[in-house]
Amino acid sequence: MRIVANLQVCQGHARCEDLCPEVFSTDAVEGKVVIEQSEFAPELEDKVRMAVRNCPEGALRIAKGTKA
Amino acid sequence: MTLQWAPSPPDHVPADLIVDFDFFQTPEGLTDPVQIWHDLVRRGVPPIFYTPRNGGHWVFLKYSDIVEGYRNHEIFSTYQTPIPPIEPFPVMQPQGVDPPDHNIFRKLLAPMFTPLAVRRMTDGLQHRAETMIASFADKGGCDFIADYASRFPTGTFLDLFGLPEERLPEFLALSETFFRSTDPAVRAQNLTDIYAVLEVLFRDKERNPGSDIASTIVTARDENGNQHPWQDILNCGFLLFVAGLDTVTNTMAYVWRYLASAPEARAQFRERLDDPVAFQLAIEELMRINAVSNIFRRVTQDCEYKGIQFRRNDRVILSNTLANRDASVFQNPQAIDLDRQVNNHVTFGVGPHRCMGSHLAKREIMISLQEWLRQIPDFELAEDQDKGSIFGGSVMGFTSLKLRW
Repeated sequence: MRIVANLQVCQGHARCEDLCPEVFSTDAVEGKVVIEQSEFAPELEDKVRMAVRNCPEGALRIAKGTKA
Repeated sequence: MTLQWAPSPPDHVPADLIVDFDFFQTPEGLTDPVQIWHDLVRRGVPPIFYTPRNGGHWVFLKYSDIVEGYRNHEIFSTYQTPIPPIEPFPVMQPQGVDPPDHNIFRKLLAPMFTPLAVRRMTDGLQHRAETMIASFADKGGCDFIADYASRFPTGTFLDLFGLPEERLPEFLALSETFFRSTDPAVRAQNLTDIYAVLEVLFRDKERNPGSDIASTIVTARDENGNQHPWQDILNCGFLLFVAGLDTVTNTMAYVWRYLASAPEARAQFRERLDDPVAFQLAIEELMRINAVSNIFRRVTQDCEYKGIQFRRNDRVILSNTLANRDASVFQNPQAIDLDRQVNNHVTFGVGPHRCMGSHLAKREIMISLQEWLRQIPDFELAEDQDKGSIFGGSVMGFTSLKLRW
């Protein structure tokens, strides 16, 4: 599984960073989401899912498989 | 005088969508101004209705419509929106400008309000909170509005703008009049006074730029290498003045008012003092339940939305407290659950005009509460509360809130 962020939709609420800083951070220019590693450790799955569900813009999703 | 942006008289509104609702009026005896909005839901009024009060405007009750009002800027504009209509009204930068033009000032301000930038302000905020609370912690009580909630964000504003602390009384007076006066002549003079202060401030920062926000705005260059138009610079300063003071003051007032009568919640926050992530999560729920802003939009064209006819220049109010307690989105929406797991509240709006200062506002409230609970772990509402100390309007809140401990 990997995380996909839509930066056109992200408005920089940073809820993902609050909820799961291990995976999500925000940039210094616009404050939009930065995902250092789109594939995350299995033990972080619950936290990642919670971050995705708490995005007020619906800018995050979890995709199956790894990047082609 | 004919107003250029006047709403149409409601001959396009069917009688069954008209409800008599004045969002400035709070009935005598009411102790919580947001209840005038939730009463509408309890009364079962239509989810999209029109009130002839305050120049006439629509109200959206449902989360989904409020979010549409925020996102669909082609129909619901932020340009020239005052309710009741006021002309001329300053075009606040970037809040009063629709995409894509709003991006010019949005991009200019954004780096100063990112989570990263706000984390760098932590020490200053912490010092301010510690000092202010220590000044009355041994007195056994305070008026939370006068002694803390209005002073803290105003002091923060002075810091951000590179202004000395000595000017706090002057700025408190300007903002008190701006947010509370209902006298048109006083309001007009106040607006002139605020712009005069901004003019001097930006001219000074132009000559002696520092590392503050005012200097950044006034020394910024557009894509052609020119300074931004002077009026836009002033309007941007005005927005930062308007947006960051009253909202934070009254959100704090709601939070402290709630905690004063909720010993279990105070205990839960105290237990989280050494766990910033858990503390932050609980703050988020207080942000949801204590949404003080009612946001205005103006319809850009005659159109139909959800089967209802809207006319160009119709005004719409998006009430965040209603969205945040919509039972179709939030389980048990009227209950405060400090462990709420999914919490997509719209206290800071959504879409292109999402409140840029949200991270600073939350940090101001979080640091204030952490420091308060360290110095004043328990407190309650005083018995002698002032009568008529609540107000409605675009920002709802309290003129006085007496606490004791």
